Amino acid sequence: MLKGFTTILVKELKELMRDPKILVGMIVLPLIMFPVLGLVMGYAVQSAQEQAQKATLLVVDNDNGNWSTLFVRYVNNSMNAIILNQTTPQTAVAEGLLQHYNSTTLVEIPAGFSANLSRHSAGELNITGTINVYSVFSGAGSIFSGFGGAVVSSIATGFNRAVAPDVVSVYQSSIIKGQIQEGVDASVLSSLMLSQSIALPITIMIMLTYAMQIAATSVAMEKEEKTLETLLTVPVDRFAILMGKVSSTIIVAGVASITVLIGYNYMLGSITGGIAGNIGSSIDMVALGLVPSVWGYTLLGISLFFTLLSALALAVVMSAFSENVRGAQAMVGYIYPLIFLPAMALIYLDVTSMPLAVQAIFFAIPYSHPIIASKAVVTGDYLTVILGIVYVAAFTIVIMYAASRLFATEKILTAKFRFGKRGKAKEPSD
Amino acid sequence: MTLAVEASSLTKQFGQIKALDGVSFNINPGEIYGLIGPNGAGKTTTLRIICTLIKPTSGSINIFGQDATKQPEKTRQIISYLPEESGAYPNLTGWEYLEFMAKLQSTPETNIKAVIDEAAQICGLGDRLKDRAKTYSKGMKRRLLVARALMTRPKLAVLDEPASGLDVLHAYHIREIVKRYVKEHGVTVLLSSHNMLEVEYLCNRVALINKGKLVVEGEPKALKTRFNSENLEEVFAKVVGYA
Ligand SMILES: Nc1ncnc2c1ncn2[C@@H]1O[C@H](COP(=O)(O)OP(=O)(O)OP(=O)(O)O)[C@@H](O)[C@H]1O
Ligand SMILES: [Mg+2]
Repeated sequence: MLKGFTTILVKELKELMRDPKILVGMIVLPLIMFPVLGLVMGYAVQSAQEQAQKATLLVVDNDNGNWSTLFVRYVNNSMNAIILNQTTPQTAVAEGLLQHYNSTTLVEIPAGFSANLSRHSAGELNITGTINVYSVFSGAGSIFSGFGGAVVSSIATGFNRAVAPDVVSVYQSSIIKGQIQEGVDASVLSSLMLSQSIALPITIMIMLTYAMQIAATSVAMEKEEKTLETLLTVPVDRFAILMGKVSSTIIVAGVASITVLIGYNYMLGSITGGIAGNIGSSIDMVALGLVPSVWGYTLLGISLFFTLLSALALAVVMSAFSENVRGAQAMVGYIYPLIFLPAMALIYLDVTSMPLAVQAIFFAIPYSHPIIASKAVVTGDYLTVILGIVYVAAFTIVIMYAASRLFATEKILTAKFRFGKRGKAKEPSD
Repeated sequence: MTLAVEASSLTKQFGQIKALDGVSFNINPGEIYGLIGPNGAGKTTTLRIICTLIKPTSGSINIFGQDATKQPEKTRQIISYLPEESGAYPNLTGWEYLEFMAKLQSTPETNIKAVIDEAAQICGLGDRLKDRAKTYSKGMKRRLLVARALMTRPKLAVLDEPASGLDVLHAYHIREIVKRYVKEHGVTVLLSSHNMLEVEYLCNRVALINKGKLVVEGEPKALKTRFNSENLEEVFAKVVGYA
């Protein structure tokens, strides 16, 4: 154990926890951010729904009765329905008819639909008709898939309102990777994916910027409050000082990111009606390739850890070149675009579908890797994740080495970085 | 007998500025040695080199027989440094600050509690030690820091303007403590000061530094005689004026 490490870690944590700025940042930040995000997402959901209404719907009418014709006509009022006859949903999917008509939703009106509805209107109220909806769900990219199914649902509700309450019920299924998954609601899946593909990048982004801010402050504070010089003359390993600062920041950043995640899940819950909860038990998400396996989560965690470490070490190095807290915070601010860019871009884009030169840029930025990893572990592309970890770890080692070198020499005291304003430090000659 | 401090031909270059230009002096164990000189003379730079914070551009520095440049870790175990500008962690209480520093300066045998109690005695802050350092006045902070520097009874205490910002009574109190520490605990003290009264009262020997060079050195009494002056202030004015 490094001499002094624990003492320094405890002191750093004490200081951090007593700093009102950090508590405010941990509570106020999520509180402001999530309503704003909620508004944005609400808008995105709305426009996705509008799009879905314009989309083509494949209808397999195996009933061919009065009621099914009526229902199809009703559907046609709000969506563009193409009627298929003499087939089953299974065959239609297998024949690739959905791709052919550029549609993502298929509705089957099973035989007996009209008969059931007739009996219902004749007074047998417990008899109802069911339609089967199959929505194409693709994990990567189209996070709003499944809205077609949701739209059909709402059309059915409208139909019920016009005819009789609860006469038509909708049974939702998904088409995942060309296979029909009975009983799996695609819109539920997409809310889950939504939370994965947006929550994670944003959380990573916040955590990284936040941690860098704290680390920079903690070094700059020692300079601003003139405690660093004393600290550097006591018989403790300089590396322990560095690690004490980095570790305490990791702990606080970890707590902060949990707060952020909780806030974020809360927000998602309010959007999707807590849908994610009722799903996990009924289907095997891992087998479907929709969520990472335990191994995947482990890799993701490792990737996150090294990225965090590299960001912290970089913040420590950068803040060592400034004389006060404000300067240090401004200094690490120059790194933020490198964090924001991949986080924002990779929410919507898939790195493998980019031109090679752009891919190279994304892979070169260490802060892209946990986000790339979060997608790769879902698809099972562990090699990309592991290579990313190796790269970020190497990057971290280089930065940590630079940081420990800096702490070992007088540069930590004398290094100053000024933006062209020379002569500021010149003492008045007497 | 090993010298407490043996500085030979120290030079320090900061870019274009030559802060030190061949400074040599020796300090005996148990001595209180004072550095005086005008602003920018190189006092702080000298003390920082001795405390392993910066490395001399050339020259050598031995602390109790150890090369401070080559073995900074070992040197840090026997010294204690009070920087001229220094502070405490604003969000820690005075007591927590002392505890933190005591732990960092301790060996397994150290009785941390006793060390802190001693520091509490020296600084005389009483119950205010329970308050956070950001609520302290400048002088209170300084007293805390002086106490911190002395509490572990280092072999060599390096104090850069120890009494700066202290009121008359507390400056007096600190001087008494420095004297007592030297006498009772065999601490060697190297200090810098702008207060000639303080230097005359405390120091066994004084060195006057000007423009990075050690100009004169000697016992305060001897210097006064040599420059035919009433007090050290006059010596200072004459030497710096003529240099
Ligand atoms: N980190 C640094 N970078 C550049 N120049 C420095 C640095 N530290 C000190 N100097 C220069 O070295 C010279 C000596 O400075 P030093 O701080 O040792 O003076 P001093 O005798 O302690 O003065 P004072 O009485 O004002 O405390 C000055 O010219 C100063 O500008
Ligand atoms: Mg000075």
